[in-house]
Amino acid sequence: MHVSRKPLTDNEMDAVVVRALSRLGALAPSRSFAAAVMVRVALPQPRPVVLYRRTRAWAAQPSHALALAGGYAVSAIVALAVVVPWLLVRLPAIGFVADRVLVRGAEFIRQGIVAIAEWSVVSGLAGLIRLVPLSGPGIWVAGVLLTIGYTGCAIALHMLLRTPKGKDVVHVRA
Amino acid sequence: MPSGKDLRELSDQEVVALARDGLEAAYRELLHRYERPVFSLIYRMVRDRALAEDLAQDTFVKVLNALESYRPEYKFSSWIFKIANNVAIDQLRRRELDTLSLDGAPDARTQDEIEATALQAVDRTQTPLAELESRELGSLIEQAIARLRPEYRACILLRHVEGRTYEEIAETLDLPLGTVKTYIHRARHELREYLEPYKD
Repeated sequence: MHVSRKPLTDNEMDAVVVRALSRLGALAPSRSFAAAVMVRVALPQPRPVVLYRRTRAWAAQPSHALALAGGYAVSAIVALAVVVPWLLVRLPAIGFVADRVLVRGAEFIRQGIVAIAEWSVVSGLAGLIRLVPLSGPGIWVAGVLLTIGYTGCAIALHMLLRTPKGKDVVHVRA
Repeated sequence: MPSGKDLRELSDQEVVALARDGLEAAYRELLHRYERPVFSLIYRMVRDRALAEDLAQDTFVKVLNALESYRPEYKFSSWIFKIANNVAIDQLRRRELDTLSLDGAPDARTQDEIEATALQAVDRTQTPLAELESRELGSLIEQAIARLRPEYRACILLRHVEGRTYEEIAETLDLPLGTVKTYIHRARHELREYLEPYKD
């Protein structure tokens, strides 16, 4: 059986076209698409990092480095030109303060030595030391032992106070 | 800091603002939102899958690296489609491209190659029979679109595939509103003429 169909009008054909267009749907790129894009995208850095990098990049250019060095030298000369006259004008006062500090320091040390000496006499330590036969080769033996002792203490202090294996201490975030 | 789910609920402008603050997830969200529309538009303009991928990548790299210059008073979609269209038009001017069936790449010779390079439309809501009819009509309309002038092609795709308004298309393509309406009218007329022999 043959079924004849009425031809579509322009409006109907237009509706078919629009419907077909709207049904086209989205096409998907490959799965690696997003990753490939992200590799080429420069994510913004925190502002301090950006500022630091820009400053370093700017300073790395020879002309800028020369300008910076020149500026530094000029500022040092200017500072000296200001500081030296200031020191010269106030030198007597500075000398007086320095003398006072030295006198006070020397007095403090002297008092400390006297206190130790008094304690050694009162406690009988001086009598014991007097009994030690420090004459002839004994003085050399005592000198060597003291030197070894002080050297050992210096090494121990160095080992105690230095950073681990000579490297900077790493600050671990909490 | 918003999670991926939170980002999906934000507007384009809000996601762009977060991306400008350096949030990588915001970049990925913009990519997720626009990778298919942008790729579809470019593919239908240049008709070559590998080239369309490259051009779509270039589009996103340009857009994401220039987010600082994006002005929030304009729609983000218009901005990204404008860049995608410019990238595709530039490519078409440099190289004349011929039609390509959706069934595979032009250099595909064996059945495996054809299947490997075939594109899959996302719409999977149709019944098998409707899908078959739709695929036939879809294939015809794809061929018809490929014959349109690039300007008509961009207008008709943005209007009827991406669902943009005439005003958005005018803004996207830097064309007067009247020109956009004329292009779309002529494009539909040419598509009708192309489908005329198949209407029975």
